[in-house]
Amino acid sequence: MDKKRIDDSDSVPVPSQKLDRFGFVKQELNNSPEGVSKTRLASEYVREERRVRKWRKMIGVGGSDWKHYVRRKPHVVKRRIRKGIPDCLRGLVWQLISGSRDLLLMNPGVYEQLVIYETSASELDIIRDISRTFPSHVFFQQRHGPGQRSLYNVLKAYSVYDREVGYVQGMGFLAGILLLYMSEEDAFWLLVALLKGAVHAPMEGLYLVGLPLVQQYLFQFDQLMKEHLPKLGEHFTQQMINPSMYASQWFITVFSYSFPFHLALRIWDVFLYEGVKIVFKVGLALLKYCLDDLVSFSKISTLFLIRLSGLCCAYGCYMFVYQTSLPFEKLIHALRNFPEDAMDPDKLLPMAYSIKVSKRLEELRQEYERKNGEVAQSADSSVKQKLLR
Amino acid sequence: MANRVDHEYDYLFKIVLIGDSGVGKSNILSRFTRNEFCLESKSTIGVEFATRTLQVEGKTVKAQIWDTAGQERYRAITSAYYRGAVGALLVYDITKSQTFDNVQRWLRELRDHADSNIVIMMAGNKSDLNHLRAVSEEDGHTFAEREGLSFLETSALEATNVEKAFQTILAEIYNIISKKALASQEAAASTTIPGQGTTINIDDSGNTNKRSCCST
Ligand SMILES: Nc1nc2c(ncn2[C@@H]2O[C@H](COP(=O)(O)OP(=O)(O)O)[C@@H](O)[C@H]2O)c(=O)[nH]1
Ligand SMILES: [Mg+2]
Repeated sequence: MDKKRIDDSDSVPVPSQKLDRFGFVKQELNNSPEGVSKTRLASEYVREERRVRKWRKMIGVGGSDWKHYVRRKPHVVKRRIRKGIPDCLRGLVWQLISGSRDLLLMNPGVYEQLVIYETSASELDIIRDISRTFPSHVFFQQRHGPGQRSLYNVLKAYSVYDREVGYVQGMGFLAGILLLYMSEEDAFWLLVALLKGAVHAPMEGLYLVGLPLVQQYLFQFDQLMKEHLPKLGEHFTQQMINPSMYASQWFITVFSYSFPFHLALRIWDVFLYEGVKIVFKVGLALLKYCLDDLVSFSKISTLFLIRLSGLCCAYGCYMFVYQTSLPFEKLIHALRNFPEDAMDPDKLLPMAYSIKVSKRLEELRQEYERKNGEVAQSADSSVKQKLLR
Repeated sequence: MANRVDHEYDYLFKIVLIGDSGVGKSNILSRFTRNEFCLESKSTIGVEFATRTLQVEGKTVKAQIWDTAGQERYRAITSAYYRGAVGALLVYDITKSQTFDNVQRWLRELRDHADSNIVIMMAGNKSDLNHLRAVSEEDGHTFAEREGLSFLETSALEATNVEKAFQTILAEIYNIISKKALASQEAAASTTIPGQGTTINIDDSGNTNKRSCCST
């Protein structure tokens, strides 16, 4: 047997590997001298202490005062969450704001039942993805280790709990981020709260057959982008770049798939309290933040754009070949590799908060439904007509 | 010609990577475009994209490759990317017969969503795991022959045949294109000979249908 390879993958994590403060294996050696970050941490420490004390008062022992506080001062809560939930309280607060605590209390023993006694049609699909979910995090790295086992249990339990959704790639990143902050059972109920919509609009449509909610969100994002950043929107249209090429994962995994973890956490804080609109806001802020870079890429090659229109379509034609430089590629690359300063939550998030989307999102949702309803209806009526004949 | 400034290649071909989840598509792509293999790669969510420029039959060809999520449910968003593709690498895993059985369904997917003349290469990946083999090379060959596909066994891990697989697809596309160009040149002498920096739309009807490829 292939002993060597198996041993290799079992031997991680090696004790000597360098981890960041969230437990991810450090990619590159950090060249910044330790001393500098230590002194900065010291001054931050005092501030952080004060913040945690405030938060503790707000939530009470084990969350006992939370509901009361939220009812009395919703705006204070919102403001504090936008500044980031202290990491040591994150798990608890996430459960309080998502409504998952209540679900857990209402369903004693259910999770255990799902994990131990039920079998799922998705078991093999889940196993195949377990080692491909946060592979660089120390908790999930070890083959069959506690992290991978919890991840498997939560996903399997969900796929049984909701057989219509089952297991879909991407859900593992949601479960993974939750498991870093809470127990299996708590993570499971938070996943349920999100997908079934305990507090906000249910997310299950992101994963149902046809991925209907992904399609709707991409439509909404495309429109919003064109309205908020018309210049960029025009360039993207000319180059046939649409949000499905870069933003699907933003919605499907709520930025947990490929964004720096400290940024993803801050987005999740707000996401759990305010709902999916923060994903739109952050998405727009990212594009806005990088607008100059993205547009200048386009400018270089505006001359060639007309030629580019042959790029994709092959309707009725034999085949398409196109020979021209492609700002398209550079754009796609830029959209997947945002500059480091755009990844700073304290720069990006204030920008995101300042973008207003709620009203338009609702209008666009209705527009999308009307459009889609018509398509569905016309398909439906043509079937009926056929049947009548 | 003003538009020659930026041209480092003669042709650009769009290729799609398809096949069941976990067969090694993303690693084939990273091996081909960056010469990297990653035992700890993440599963693909949605679509990914990479390019590489290489020499094919003496021409500089840029391969623009779209890597897609393999799970069935993702086809709702990934099938849009087949449109406009001139080549497809259809991958299965030689250690999982299920992934080979599903090749038929992937072909149907291509037939439904891609250009009918798309060049298809089937790749049986993970050939380094010979001791775990569940699909014989011969079965691969027989199937490919019957369906009129090119076929190779590859290993993204050991970098076996990955280069060759893409080279083969690209050469085949190039040959079809140049034959077609010649034919249309003969048919209509007025058609300008494709020179450097020109887009040639090889279109039997002679008019270009401008539509976006990826609108869902
Ligand atoms: N032994 C071996 N493993 C491979 C090979 N190609 C990919 N893998 C592994 O198979 C798993 C799935 O690969 P990935 O590229 O993510 O598959 P995809 O879902 O088709 O994109 C990963 O753990 C890879 O390390 C190969 O040629 N040989
Ligand atoms: Mg992949």
